[in-house]
Amino acid sequence: MQWMEIAWLVPILPIISFVLIVAFGKRLPWKGAELGLLSVGAGLIISIGIAFHTFTNSPVHALEKSFDWAPLGDGFILELGMLVDGLTSMMFLLVTLVSLMVHAYSREYMHGEDRFTYFFAMLSLFTASMLILVIANNTLQAVVGWELVGLCSFLLIGFYWHEKPNQDAANKAFLTTKFADIGLIVGVIVLSKAMFATGTATPFNILELNAAASHGDLDMGLVVLGTLMIFLGAVGKSGQFPLHVWLPDAMAGPTPVSALIHAATMVTAGVFFVARLYPVYAQNATVMAVIAIVGTITLFFAGFLALVQDDIKKILAYSTVSQLGYMMAALGVGGYTAGIFHLFTHGFFKALLFLGSGSMIHAVHSNNISDMGGLRKYMPYTFATFVIGSLALAGFPLTAGFFSKDEILVSAQLWQGEGFVTGPIVFWLGLLASGVTTFYMARAIFIAFFGEYTPHAHHHGEQDHEAHADEPSPKVPHESGAWMVVPLVILAVFSLGIGFIGSPFWSKDSNFEQWTATEILEETTYPFIAGEAHGDDEGNAEEEGEHGAALGSSGVVAAPAAVAAAEGSDGHGSGAVLHGPPKFHPDVAGYALVVFLLSVGAAWRIYGRGKPEKDPTMHMGGFTTALQNKYWFDHIGYHYIVKPVRDRLSPAAYWSNQEVLDRIVKGAGGVTKRIAESTYTTLDQKVIDGGVNGAAFSAAWWSNRLKRIQTGNVQRYAGAIVAATIVLVLVFALSN
Amino acid sequence: MSILGPLLLGTFLFCVGIYGVIARRNAVLVLMSVELMLNAVNVNLVAFQDILFPQDAALSGQVFALFIITVAAAEVGVGLAIVLNMFRNRASVNVDDADLMRW
Repeated sequence: MQWMEIAWLVPILPIISFVLIVAFGKRLPWKGAELGLLSVGAGLIISIGIAFHTFTNSPVHALEKSFDWAPLGDGFILELGMLVDGLTSMMFLLVTLVSLMVHAYSREYMHGEDRFTYFFAMLSLFTASMLILVIANNTLQAVVGWELVGLCSFLLIGFYWHEKPNQDAANKAFLTTKFADIGLIVGVIVLSKAMFATGTATPFNILELNAAASHGDLDMGLVVLGTLMIFLGAVGKSGQFPLHVWLPDAMAGPTPVSALIHAATMVTAGVFFVARLYPVYAQNATVMAVIAIVGTITLFFAGFLALVQDDIKKILAYSTVSQLGYMMAALGVGGYTAGIFHLFTHGFFKALLFLGSGSMIHAVHSNNISDMGGLRKYMPYTFATFVIGSLALAGFPLTAGFFSKDEILVSAQLWQGEGFVTGPIVFWLGLLASGVTTFYMARAIFIAFFGEYTPHAHHHGEQDHEAHADEPSPKVPHESGAWMVVPLVILAVFSLGIGFIGSPFWSKDSNFEQWTATEILEETTYPFIAGEAHGDDEGNAEEEGEHGAALGSSGVVAAPAAVAAAEGSDGHGSGAVLHGPPKFHPDVAGYALVVFLLSVGAAWRIYGRGKPEKDPTMHMGGFTTALQNKYWFDHIGYHYIVKPVRDRLSPAAYWSNQEVLDRIVKGAGGVTKRIAESTYTTLDQKVIDGGVNGAAFSAAWWSNRLKRIQTGNVQRYAGAIVAATIVLVLVFALSN
Repeated sequence: MSILGPLLLGTFLFCVGIYGVIARRNAVLVLMSVELMLNAVNVNLVAFQDILFPQDAALSGQVFALFIITVAAAEVGVGLAIVLNMFRNRASVNVDDADLMRW
């Protein structure tokens, strides 16, 4: 239990390290890098402790500790605190591990950079922000972490700010996510409004919110509005359609930052937050459907974009968008465990791929795969780890991505079994998109690592800013140093093995599903699914299985029926959110494997001998044009959002500011000035000053006259005393 | 013996004293007038003791008169010293001349 008690240290340590690096970083021997490594390393040790505890004792009782940050009176308290359960622990492990790898990697990759210390300070702050969001026990604190993450991403994407495109990319990322954040804040407030109705003092508390939602205590209208608004925030942050446009541009940042953004600290925030509030999301079928559809669009269309990219980082960026779509789609089809399992495994292999791509870029001084080729011979470690990461991403059997992606497809099947049309959509499009994923990763690997290396004209890319740019370009690429290779190897091990904890091979008592299951989630049911957990599980499952069979048209339908029956008989009701321990689904695995092999085969046929003269992905007619223009999203965004805002709205706002607001302000100022002047001349100068002066003058006048009584003549005084005595005597005598 | 006689004597002495204090210019005479007023009081005290409270064994009236005589002697001592100093500074004992303590 002790490990969980000190969970608050995990976000605090990087904050301390951030402050220390800013203050003393430049004077340290490693220029601040050691502070970042130490703090995140300590955080990783604590996270491993927590993870071990929560995993072996799963599902663990959530530990919540908080203090009253701002008691606002009238029974309304804003808290600051921590909520430690399996989900927190899972994110802790992912964030600290990936962050530590990125820190170690950056020490070599960013070596000699002008703003090396600043970079590490930002890495620390970035990590801390994400951890604040993860540990938050109330939605307001989560918003704080969320916004800090956005700020850090802006600063790091714009790290090479002296070039205009990088500034633009940073601005684009910031404005796009900020637009979505409005939704997040509105959603948080709307949900707190619903919580106020229950009479709680802490309407932002996540545990209370989830409990109230799963007991059906909240107003459904507010729940739908609030969850959709928060989902808008997640759409922006997690790069979902149509707000994904900032993500590929975010490649302008240094490669380790891309790894951090894409694997652990930024884009996972949206998925994590939806998962955190999953009992609330589970309340309404429409909300679930919206999530599923947005996720499906994202996962399906983003993958194709990677086909026509030459920049290795852009390929990986679109694959991230696509994988985030998988996660969202999984959450939308009731696959809570599947979604966050994919988040977990994706974090490792995407970090690996980005760091690997950084290693390649470092070696050839170009981002473009067409400038690479034959790197297999020169960079064996990078090659091996990159292939492992790609296999995991493509879902090759027994790698991490295989288990998580299959779990998503299985969840989609189960959802189909419940009679939802989003189930089969996610299943088939997800399967197809996984083929696309395999194809573009195979294309990148074949072009970059196979064939022959051809020295290229020096490109003015990101690497120009880095230390090695001023050295003469080497004749052949060389493997990176140990600080870069070791993180690759560690991440490769995780990418290969971490999937087993969520697989049917693992113990049924403490696996990934039990680990990340929260107490509230276990008792949560989908209120919109008929039958519920209270009904006859077996009967329901069979019924719905038949229903699924009636819906379907091919051989697959038998599977969902069987699956639903199997899950139902496992003690979980058909309406329960959690599916129970993972099972073998040979049909799903079979489909996935067939798609994988077909895609690899196609890619081998086209790219197996290195880069072909004519890349077929560049010759698909209108489709290629569409892809190269990114479905014209940037075009539409520029012409229909940026331009009207810039050319119409901004001038109009400027005009209204100058002509209306300024006039009002100026008029108010003039009136105030006139009132002030008349006040000065009449009230202050005449009335008040006159009063004061008059009092003084009258005092002087009277004292001038009264002073003459004091003559200094003793005898007059004596006479006055006698006279007064006589008067007093007479008064007393007569009054008696 | 009636108390009227001593009281009339006291009143007369007091009035003469007041007149002297207010009307005389010579500081020595003013001091003497003050002595007159004090002695008017002494006459009253002795008379009250002797006529109204003859059985008072402590003779407080007479004793009090003695104290007043003592205090009066001390007061005259101080007063004459002031008068002497005044005379040395300005060659005059006229109280009208001692009017520096005014506005």
